Amino acid sequence: MLLQIDFKSGKPVYLQLVDQIRYAAASGGLRAGEPLPSIRPLAEELRVNRNTIAKAYTELESQGVIETIPGKGCFLKESNSPFTKSARAKILTKEIDEAVVAAHHLQVDREAFLALVKERLDSFERKVKEKSNND
Amino acid sequence: MNTDAPIIEIQNLSRRYGKLDAVNGLSLNVSAGKCYGFFGRNGAGKTTTIRCLLNLLRPDSGTVRVFGLDPRTDEVAVKSRLAYVPDQVAFYPWMTVSETLEYLASFRKHWNGDIEADLIKRFQLDPKQKASHLSKGQRTQLALIGAICPEPELLVLDEPTSGLDPIVRREFIETVIGAYQSGDPGRRTVFVSTHLISEFEGLIDEFTIIEHGRELLTMEADAARDRFRKIRAQFSEIPKLDLSGALSVKQSGRGMEILANGNSEQLLAELKAHVPEELRCEALSLEEIFVATDILKQLKA
Repeated sequence: MLLQIDFKSGKPVYLQLVDQIRYAAASGGLRAGEPLPSIRPLAEELRVNRNTIAKAYTELESQGVIETIPGKGCFLKESNSPFTKSARAKILTKEIDEAVVAAHHLQVDREAFLALVKERLDSFERKVKEKSNND
Repeated sequence: MNTDAPIIEIQNLSRRYGKLDAVNGLSLNVSAGKCYGFFGRNGAGKTTTIRCLLNLLRPDSGTVRVFGLDPRTDEVAVKSRLAYVPDQVAFYPWMTVSETLEYLASFRKHWNGDIEADLIKRFQLDPKQKASHLSKGQRTQLALIGAICPEPELLVLDEPTSGLDPIVRREFIETVIGAYQSGDPGRRTVFVSTHLISEFEGLIDEFTIIEHGRELLTMEADAARDRFRKIRAQFSEIPKLDLSGALSVKQSGRGMEILANGNSEQLLAELKAHVPEELRCEALSLEEIFVATDILKQLKA
């Protein structure tokens, strides 16, 4: 799980961390039962106020994303909760929007764009199939 | 102990040097557990303010309270609970690293030897090396060890990282966050005066920008990054725009750069109405806000 703070996003630092950890949970970067980095080393690594990290972890705990086991640390909870699916859809929507805007700038029309999307999906599925055949 | 009482309380502080108003009506409050940034150009009055906090200078008017006490009348009580790292650190040149720390420890009721050993190792200092043979970075590291080991409630830093290489600067900040802050999170307060703002960006909860001895802006870091925005727009042809609410507007060819102070939504709406080719909006970092306050200052005048 790679965490990065963007001081130019206008978003409070602790919320950026909350979002990124939720993203990691939704995308599989962080798995259920996996420990989160401890507060102090993470604060030192990101060079961010220790209390900001603590605030992010408190928020994640209140959202039911992580749980603290005294003496052991913070762990990701089972990721079957509903918002994970909507979080995934939200993130994908953002990526799709960027592709749509790029298509507009590059003057790729609707049909060509959709044909390209289908072609890329087919190509991706082929690769996944090849990989599982080879394993 | 009343945890709501500010750790530092400055009210209407004024201090003159001859005819020059070094500090002129400055007020600010620092709450317990916060990292407070004190930003200003050279000569703005930062060091004078800090000297008043430490009773190295007496205010001409106004009040200064540290831990609710007057540093003038309760100097020892105040100083025993804080540690200070100035920009020019000075040690007895013949003393070794160990001897210097032993000497500093002798003035303190409490000294954490484990942190001392840990930090000496972390900074790779040779305990037997004489202070006069240390580099500037190493002397700053030594001063920081001396400041953290007594585990004080307040850490006052005055330009602590100026003149240091980037690696040492990073380690300094990591040490403030790790060895100092993490020791007692709600009760460790940092007051840092610096113009290397980008380094301390992640650490700062709240800040005051001082200019010509006066407070120019005081804000929470997150709130400031939310308010101050840089909007970049590009048009196929620059239209007539009403950008009167903007902090500043810069035009370059078909592109424009607009700084907003709290009214970015309005400005974005105005720009969108004229269908720009490209429109981007990003927050200003604390350093950029500092630079932009030059404009703010002109508005206040």
